[in-house]
Amino acid sequence: MGSVEKLLAKVRIRDLPRRRVCTVSRSTSLGEVYRLLDEEHSVAVLVCDDNDLVGIFTERDILNRTALEGDSDTPIGDLMSPIKGSLSTDDRLADAIALMHEGGYRHVPLPGSKGEKPGLVGGRDILLLIAEHYPETLLNLPPRLDQRMTTPEGG
Amino acid sequence: MLCPNCDTDNIPGVDVCEACGTELAGMDLPEARSGFRGKLLTARMGDLPVSEPVLVSPDDTVREAIERMREAQVGCVLVATDGKLVGLFNERHVLTRVLRKGIDVASTRVSEVMSPKPFELSPEDPPAFAIHSMVAYGFRHLPLVSQGKIVGYISVRNILAFLHDGVIADTASVS
Repeated sequence: MGSVEKLLAKVRIRDLPRRRVCTVSRSTSLGEVYRLLDEEHSVAVLVCDDNDLVGIFTERDILNRTALEGDSDTPIGDLMSPIKGSLSTDDRLADAIALMHEGGYRHVPLPGSKGEKPGLVGGRDILLLIAEHYPETLLNLPPRLDQRMTTPEGG
Repeated sequence: MLCPNCDTDNIPGVDVCEACGTELAGMDLPEARSGFRGKLLTARMGDLPVSEPVLVSPDDTVREAIERMREAQVGCVLVATDGKLVGLFNERHVLTRVLRKGIDVASTRVSEVMSPKPFELSPEDPPAFAIHSMVAYGFRHLPLVSQGKIVGYISVRNILAFLHDGVIADTASVS
């Protein structure tokens, strides 16, 4: 098992577990997008023309643009953000982290190619992969490292 | 787990050596390692570029909380009474607890939609704790509280910045 440095340089985006992501068309209403994000436990919808990714609409867009003034009938094509940065499945985790950090993105779309569906990579996906590689460092922790039981049973 | 006093091989996780009674509690906790993996256990979150907390009162309206998040360009506000943390309200709550429920943002108080008593960490805790909480429990924002005082919060973005500065920027500067 190598270092975190080697892990980030070696593992490719395609090795990450694919997170569930909703794809919608430009004409999908804002209200329907709210429903999808809530019921599918998703953080963003990808807006596609056929299979081509044309935009993204995230929880942050809701906060900044529609939470106080949104009309649930508005088509999402009028509200979506253009794709600013994207990744391919051949990119390394280090590339994803650099893109997220430098661009201030928390989620970066994967446009998909060769018949693949578009996807999404989130910061939490990367943390999960690191945690799975180093369970003794990141997962097998007691609730508090400074916790000491005063009785043998801990009760 | 070998007793450092008498070399007896004890069952992993025991609190005292069965042969000599030496205190063994905590000795099988993960040890700091070299490189970035070591930093995950030895760095203090207080030394990371943590996010400045944006505080609201439980009696503020949901509209005011959303406006504060927009002004500060953050995804969460910490709800505090007399400087003490009582809740957390984030952008996911805006969707699931406000918009999806059709709640009136002008008349509903933050205290009605916040997550009360959020899980908190200390600025003395290592980043491994934050990653553990985010991965195991799905927390996105972890308030940092020191002796009852809110000092900031840590988000997935902060951890990515820590990874970037500690691993990727370092590697790039060498190569």
